[in-house]
Amino acid sequence: MEAFVLPKAELGGFVAKLKADYEVFGPVAKDTEFVFGPIAAAEDLRLDYDTTILPPKKYFHRPVETLFKFDGAVEIAGEGEKVGKQVLFGVHPCDVNALLSLDKVFLGTYPDPYYKARRENTVIIGLNCVAPCENGFCSSFNTGPAMDAGFDLALTDIGDRYVVEVGSAAGKELAAGLAAASADDLIARNKALRACQQKITRRIDAENLGELLHQNVEHPKWEELKEECLACGTCTTVCPTCFCFGVKDYVDLTLKSGERPRTWDSCMFYEFSRVALDHIFRPDRAARIKQRIFHKLAYFSQQFEGSPGCVGCGRCVSTCIKSIDPVEIVAAIQANPNPPKEVKLFTPVIKKITPEKSPWEPQKAVIKAIKPQTKDTTTYTFAFVDAKVQEAYTYDPGVFNMISIFGIGEAPISISSCADVKDSFDHTIRAVGNVTNALAKLQVGDIVGIRGPYGVGWPVEEMKGKNVLLVAGGIGLAPLRPVIKYIQARRDQYGDFEILYGARTPNDMLFTDEFEEWRKIPNTRLYLTVDYVPPGVEWGHNIGVVTTLFDKMASRPENTIMITCGPEIMMKFVVRGLLARGFSPEQIYVSLERRMSCGIKKCGNCQIGPVFVCQDGPVFKYADIKDLPEEIF
Amino acid sequence: MAKPRIAVFKFSSCAGCQLELLNIEDHLLDVLGAVDIAYFVMAKRENHEGPYDIGFVEGAVTSPKELLELKKIREECKVLVAMGACACTGGLPSIKNFAGTQRQAEERVYTELWDIKSIPAYGIDYYVKVDAYLRGCPIDIGEMVELIKSALLGVNPHFRPHSVCNECKLKENVCLLVNKGKPCMGSVTAAGCGALCPSLNRPCEGCRGPANDANAASLAQTFLTELGLTRDDVRRKFLKYAGNTPEFRKGAEAV
Repeated sequence: MEAFVLPKAELGGFVAKLKADYEVFGPVAKDTEFVFGPIAAAEDLRLDYDTTILPPKKYFHRPVETLFKFDGAVEIAGEGEKVGKQVLFGVHPCDVNALLSLDKVFLGTYPDPYYKARRENTVIIGLNCVAPCENGFCSSFNTGPAMDAGFDLALTDIGDRYVVEVGSAAGKELAAGLAAASADDLIARNKALRACQQKITRRIDAENLGELLHQNVEHPKWEELKEECLACGTCTTVCPTCFCFGVKDYVDLTLKSGERPRTWDSCMFYEFSRVALDHIFRPDRAARIKQRIFHKLAYFSQQFEGSPGCVGCGRCVSTCIKSIDPVEIVAAIQANPNPPKEVKLFTPVIKKITPEKSPWEPQKAVIKAIKPQTKDTTTYTFAFVDAKVQEAYTYDPGVFNMISIFGIGEAPISISSCADVKDSFDHTIRAVGNVTNALAKLQVGDIVGIRGPYGVGWPVEEMKGKNVLLVAGGIGLAPLRPVIKYIQARRDQYGDFEILYGARTPNDMLFTDEFEEWRKIPNTRLYLTVDYVPPGVEWGHNIGVVTTLFDKMASRPENTIMITCGPEIMMKFVVRGLLARGFSPEQIYVSLERRMSCGIKKCGNCQIGPVFVCQDGPVFKYADIKDLPEEIF
Repeated sequence: MAKPRIAVFKFSSCAGCQLELLNIEDHLLDVLGAVDIAYFVMAKRENHEGPYDIGFVEGAVTSPKELLELKKIREECKVLVAMGACACTGGLPSIKNFAGTQRQAEERVYTELWDIKSIPAYGIDYYVKVDAYLRGCPIDIGEMVELIKSALLGVNPHFRPHSVCNECKLKENVCLLVNKGKPCMGSVTAAGCGALCPSLNRPCEGCRGPANDANAASLAQTFLTELGLTRDDVRRKFLKYAGNTPEFRKGAEAV
């Protein structure tokens, strides 16, 4: 470790030198508390601060940030505020470690250009803690009271001076001119930090924390917290590792031009998991509290290569009106745990995808054809305006795109065509939300924005050489249609193929004009059913829910892969019915596509337990998700 | 397309929301460019009859006569907006609902009772279907403009039903409740005001009504046991603006 000393008397000169090249931010007093703010001179700095209201996260992941501006569908201008060179002065170890965790979110899969630019332009001068703060429990996660990574320089107060450790080349440059630390200085540093460590009495026993929580998904503590918690979301707003946000379009009064910002959001809010048709996946407050605590203490490290989701900064405790405290929650569960059982922790595959341009900026695509399917569902054929983009565009059956109508917003929609068709691609869309209703008003030749393809599709490779059973309900046939086309084009590579399709009424069935063609695929059987037949409608097939077709089908568990998509309640009964018929959870694939939001594992809306549906799915092997802490079906 | 016709109506209220509407200066020319204000007695001399594309209703309904008017307005307006706390939840007029019988309330205010025909005060959605709500006492102009734009686009406006705490923390305000011991209702009140009162060192009074999934009973306990408010004080806080809502009623009944 290369270390220098900075006498406190020389702090003013040191900060003045920084000011010549950087904008400097650091802890300043605000009434009785502290916040990170601009520093004009060293006198503004309050290096005796305990903690700040918001963490320095705000300088990287902005509370509100414009992703781009648009003028109609034609002009899209990448935005993101200009980032100058800046110094964050006096960042405590918990917050430095929190930034290292956030890096995994924002610089991992699909690096976020705005966060990245700020990280690259920022010098971090850390400040180790020589006195514990009131509510911190950083030593539980080894994220304090001293830092060992993530800083350019790290200061430790040893009385009349700071020991200055160097953490990077940039830091070394800034330390130029400082005197080297003596052996006594380093001993004083270690002593001060050890003394602080010993004074930190608040502690979460982090050993096997993930297992402990997973075993106590059902625990009286959660119901107790539900009565206490105000659902105000302050805990997540002040958390240095929380990354969730919502994306919305705002237009000016021309109704044509505007911007698309993202705004911090929180899993503690009732409507956070809301999707089209106003369905909310986590309406119960106890479930939301559980999501926050589990995400901080278990899921985050499962999702992001072992990075801590809680750094023990104590802000959530200090600001909670009801003093809800993770330390106390874990202690209460440990004191009275459920009987141990074996738990299987889901570990996602970490992908690294670095697109050439901003992952937020959609490509323009033109509507080539519009074909009504039912009263409220339509198949749109698109092609990217840029011929090169269209030529290079390929995708797996079952993945999805984010479709933008500028001024209205974005929606995740699965692709309903097969990539064998090169000059265009289809989306079959039901008009149920703001975006899909706006799309319904567009015409051939109109332009939309498209990002994608995203996610994991149906296991068409694994299915090779096997029989395939496809069970679809309603609009759920759309993401399965690519599989039918795919198998049709490679018929000899697959065994028997059975398609079971159910809809509410005959008039709600999609792709009816293709049924004859599907029936002609060799070794393929198509069974149809409807919930009911309105008077005056002709129907020669089955009546009843889709599972009533199971008695008619020839598919048996041996050497078969089963894939299903439809309303969750339908998939639940399909899965149950097949398990009862001897299928194993390893043979069953389901799609959870309704839950997605940003598509690139950033906004956090689609999380189910440690799973990000948009990147780990939307297609999942049932065996992988059946034991998730949040029961799916 | 012709410019949408907008109308503004008033029932029992202080007219503060209409006044706030006149404070729209920053957006005035743009708004006038986008819409035609057909009926707004407080603002113009010449007013036109319906039908209207968007109707804004201020005030609670507190008499049979107002109720008849409201029903007519509903028929005349394609989109009906409850404007302000009184129209959304009953607001301040609804305090009388919790002060004994209707007759007792009348006796406390009027000396001549023979011509008084009043009914309990409710938000307008107690009687007619409401398409959108502009919360607050008074309304927030930013939300008003957002609502007009959304109505013109035919989409749901992006309002934040989160707690006021959320907006307050984003401003890095020192917490009036935790740090200063003041009975702030921000944690259970719907955001959208930009935490206006707490930012000016005044505790939130709950004028925007309950946030989604507000846990008023738990906050009432904190007021009572930790801040030392009396039972009556706690009751009054939760009944002041939105005592008609089941969420805030739970706060009043928890103590």
